[in-house]
Amino acid sequence: MLDPQDRIRFEQLVLPHLNSAANLARWMLRNRDDSDDVVQEATLRAYRFFGQFHGGDARAWLLQIVRNTCYTWLGKNRPSELMTEFDEEVHQRPAANPEILATQSDERQQLMRALESLSPRFREVLVLRELEGCSYKEIGEITGIPIGTVMSTLSRARERLRQVLIGANGAAAKGVS
Amino acid sequence: MNCEEAIKLMNGYLDGELDPITNQAIEKHLCECHNCDQAYKTQRSLISAIGNAAPYYKVPAGLRERIRSSLREETEGEPMRNGVPGAQVMFHKRDPETRSMLSEIPWNWLGLAAAIILAAIIAFNVLPRAQRGGPDQFLATQLIASHVRSLMANHLTDVASSDQHTVKPWLDAKLDFAPAVVDLSEKGFPLIGGRLDYLDNRPVAALIYQRRKHFINLFVWPAGSDAAEATKAMTRQGYQLFHWIDSDFNYWAVSDINEKELQEFKQLFEEQIPRH
Repeated sequence: MLDPQDRIRFEQLVLPHLNSAANLARWMLRNRDDSDDVVQEATLRAYRFFGQFHGGDARAWLLQIVRNTCYTWLGKNRPSELMTEFDEEVHQRPAANPEILATQSDERQQLMRALESLSPRFREVLVLRELEGCSYKEIGEITGIPIGTVMSTLSRARERLRQVLIGANGAAAKGVS
Repeated sequence: MNCEEAIKLMNGYLDGELDPITNQAIEKHLCECHNCDQAYKTQRSLISAIGNAAPYYKVPAGLRERIRSSLREETEGEPMRNGVPGAQVMFHKRDPETRSMLSEIPWNWLGLAAAIILAAIIAFNVLPRAQRGGPDQFLATQLIASHVRSLMANHLTDVASSDQHTVKPWLDAKLDFAPAVVDLSEKGFPLIGGRLDYLDNRPVAALIYQRRKHFINLFVWPAGSDAAEATKAMTRQGYQLFHWIDSDFNYWAVSDINEKELQEFKQLFEEQIPRH
């Protein structure tokens, strides 16, 4: 059982990274309520295993637990997401409604949709690298991807994202004309 | 270094993950090879676009608090509820502090009497006055104050524009969430602009719409996980309030137009926001 001293240490070392945890979970689950639940569960799990944390990169340590909790959750609640990339949404969205079209032309929305359409494996490396600024070593620690293949995973993820963005732009342009 | 190698190592170069010697070799190749240099620039702009445009979701304040209290419970070794260990306990959300405080009260008879008195004292004196009238009452007062304030001085909008593509990026850049912004000019509710406000202990977005000579403040902030309450309309201090939630956000529309029109506004707004 952890004592109040541990709790203080945990609050100082681990809790400052709650934003990173929330961001990763939200991108992985793409929904606020589910990611709130998972962040809470993962943080408690981290707390229970805090005895096993022997210093080092507290953010990577927490994110690793958050990431695993996300996968467990997805496996239980949305197993299909772990198997498929659902980019249909981006490619086949009907462009009839001008409001939707206008929103699609909004770069931020488009990018967000494109990122969300990637498979969880691609999404996680992109979120960790571009939004969290994790090093390859940290990405390896968090995701369990061997450090030697972090670069190639990232380059495939970026390539896929680029293709989705081109696809979305193509579809939007067709809708306008 | 040839093109194939350069392309293969491009991402590592962009991410600053290569050793200095390989870095130099790539730089040399990029100077000499136009195609690879183009590929490099394209990739670089993609990377910066993700970093700049993709939203960063911070931890909601309420969740941070819930986590802190569940850690306290964990440390104090409070027995697991319903005898179910682990995950079940993690998901409870209802005010654990109140519960643990009550569970510490000794339940012998004298204690019980004391507890009743204590509960009465807490209910009537300690709890903030506003909460007794219901959290909605308190929030409604805040919302109306904010609405009135926005109309008093020249501070209706921080960004005055009828263009949703101006208002939205402005708000997105200043908030930790990205509210949907739609223009309803064609439906008789033109968008006037956006404003930052502070309500319910958090920064919120205020979208300002006009109905003839009247203004509507539409306050938007991310929906809490406990936000299950249905749509509701109320009249307070002569103002109409209309509240609804969707999968992402809490909406409170405040105006002096009538309830029917405000409801129509809500419907139009909902029809126009992009679904995801």
